[in-house]
Amino acid sequence: MIGRFASFLRRNPDSINRIPRLALWSPRARKLIGALLLCSVVGLTYRSYFRNWVPFGPQRTVATVNLKMGVHTRLTDEPDAAKIKRSLEMVREMGAPWIVEYFPWAYYEPRRGQYEWSHPDLVIDHASRQGLTVIARLGYVPEWARPEDSHHLYLAEEDYEAFGRYAVEFVRRYRDRVGYLIIWNEPNLSLEWGFRPVDPASYVRMLKVVYPMVKEAAPEVQVLAGALAPTLDPPGSEWSVNDLDYLQQMYDAGAADYFDILAIHAYGLGFDADEPAGETVVNFRRSELLREIMVRNGDGDKTAMITEGGWNDHPRWTRAVRPAQRIVNSVRAYEIARTEWPWLESVCLWVFRFPWDQKSYQDYFTFVGTDFEPKAIYLEMQEYAAGRFKAP
Amino acid sequence: MNDQRRSGERDPLRAETDRTNRQWLVAGRHGSRWTGFSVRGSFGRRPILWIVACVLALAVGGWLLLRTGGPAVDETWLEMQERGSWRVGMDPSFPPFETLDAEGAPIGYDVDLAREIAATWGLEAEIVAIGYDSLLDALLVDRVDAVISAFPYNARMTKDVHYSPPYFEAGVRLVVGADAAFEEIGDLDGGTVAVEWGSRGDAIARRLQREGAGFTRLPFESSEKAIEALVSGASSALLIDGVTLRLAQGEGKGIRAVGAVLDEDPYVIAVSIKAPKLQSALLQALATLEEEGRLGLLEERWFGQYARRE
Repeated sequence: MIGRFASFLRRNPDSINRIPRLALWSPRARKLIGALLLCSVVGLTYRSYFRNWVPFGPQRTVATVNLKMGVHTRLTDEPDAAKIKRSLEMVREMGAPWIVEYFPWAYYEPRRGQYEWSHPDLVIDHASRQGLTVIARLGYVPEWARPEDSHHLYLAEEDYEAFGRYAVEFVRRYRDRVGYLIIWNEPNLSLEWGFRPVDPASYVRMLKVVYPMVKEAAPEVQVLAGALAPTLDPPGSEWSVNDLDYLQQMYDAGAADYFDILAIHAYGLGFDADEPAGETVVNFRRSELLREIMVRNGDGDKTAMITEGGWNDHPRWTRAVRPAQRIVNSVRAYEIARTEWPWLESVCLWVFRFPWDQKSYQDYFTFVGTDFEPKAIYLEMQEYAAGRFKAP
Repeated sequence: MNDQRRSGERDPLRAETDRTNRQWLVAGRHGSRWTGFSVRGSFGRRPILWIVACVLALAVGGWLLLRTGGPAVDETWLEMQERGSWRVGMDPSFPPFETLDAEGAPIGYDVDLAREIAATWGLEAEIVAIGYDSLLDALLVDRVDAVISAFPYNARMTKDVHYSPPYFEAGVRLVVGADAAFEEIGDLDGGTVAVEWGSRGDAIARRLQREGAGFTRLPFESSEKAIEALVSGASSALLIDGVTLRLAQGEGKGIRAVGAVLDEDPYVIAVSIKAPKLQSALLQALATLEEEGRLGLLEERWFGQYARRE
């Protein structure tokens, strides 16, 4: 374009004299051009700032017969504001007042002391507008807070305070909308502990650093600990420590004063929701054994929350159930929490939706597809929350 | 003087053009030494220069094409030839595609398919048992040369993995009795559609109802009961996945799929993106097996024959 214009000027050297000079334009024209330029700048700025923005809509509330119903959303890797909003709308429409969401430290403090809150702002603001109660799970170590080439879940004890500072900044920003924090995830698995030997005492030292920092910044925020993976690995396993043993070792290390609520992971695997608990079986009622350990250690006044759990209906995963069993068990899990477990505040089943298909058994934990098409289980949970559920 | 006179004799438009050209050349000399170089003139005077430039361009273009087209040598293919075997990863836990027999040996449709393909190359198939969710990782680190394990196509992985054309479609189909007149969803207005409660077929049936389809959904607690409802006439049609359908047909149920696949789920063979020779050989082998009817025979061996109509 510029080349053609230059060529035109070369061929018509006199034409440049025909372009009117700015000084000759009338004051009115100059004002008009100025206004147009200003509008362009404002418009471009607005578009840039709000390019990933959708209206929040009116304040909503969740209608449900069971106030303990919840799901673990997975919006961490969902950048699209419209999809974030749609996910949370659908959670509300399903009738679940609780969500657990992951807020990775590495994403939101990519450089020490530099915070990037735009994505959590979107998630938390939309969740609040949908009337959902957010339980925030914190973890995932930024590169600057761990040794070079270490795993993203590796956090040395000398850096617990840096993690605590992130938690403090988080609650300072969101304390009016987020009342629950989960400190770390499944620390009884080596892979969740930076591929180091599992160390309950070290996890408790993390709680001893982070808990007082959070409480000083926002005393009303409830700190959840544990979130242990249910596992039956034998003592001495390099991969994990049995969750029941791990919880007892947490108490032995003095954890009781450094958390408010126990986070529980309650997967049913191939068992019905009513399958009795047993130390040698992983099922939904294993939560009762964790509760017994709490009571035995004088922590019976505290409550618990199931922050992950549920059933999978993958056609070939060996720990999956048939789709019909998944529906019945999920309804039963919500009912057990409502009618039998007064010590349990919420049940958040894994996982509401993934931003993209995992092409693995994980896709069969979801309630809606990546395209938001509701699965049958979503519609049945909706019926349950409305008091209309009836198995065929 | 002669030049001036000659130019004065020419028409004004051409004279203007000449003047413009001269201005351009003068301006070019002042501005940049490169614009002062008359490319057309140089090539016009020296045709050999054209030839050299063309040869150079072809050489550079060819090199770029080859460079981006992948390595000239397919290491995977060469290693297969040296080894005399094709290492195929699969999770033997999904009969009839792959499972273990009483002696612990892998058997199934995918096992035989791997052997048939390897045989067309004069190789043996070496089955490597790997957990389903680790199959692609095993391929990416060259622990296996291919994955055949009722493995679905994943568009997100096509940067690292090459997929063969599908050899089995496991997506949800509308199924009717062998002699039923229904051919599409629209024909089922006022009828009933059986589904396994909670399945993908159930979700699709509900979606079709939301979109206005006029059938009644009949949920059953298992796919077997849903199929039985169709066979017994308690339901006009059925929505089930391709694997369940083919197994039921193999058991002698007189049912057939109609219309397009409602939710595609093709099973494919995955090989490394860095193995072009293996990719083309695989394509050719599958085409050969298809043409010779051996794929169909394999399917019948593991799923059973279709029920013959009376």
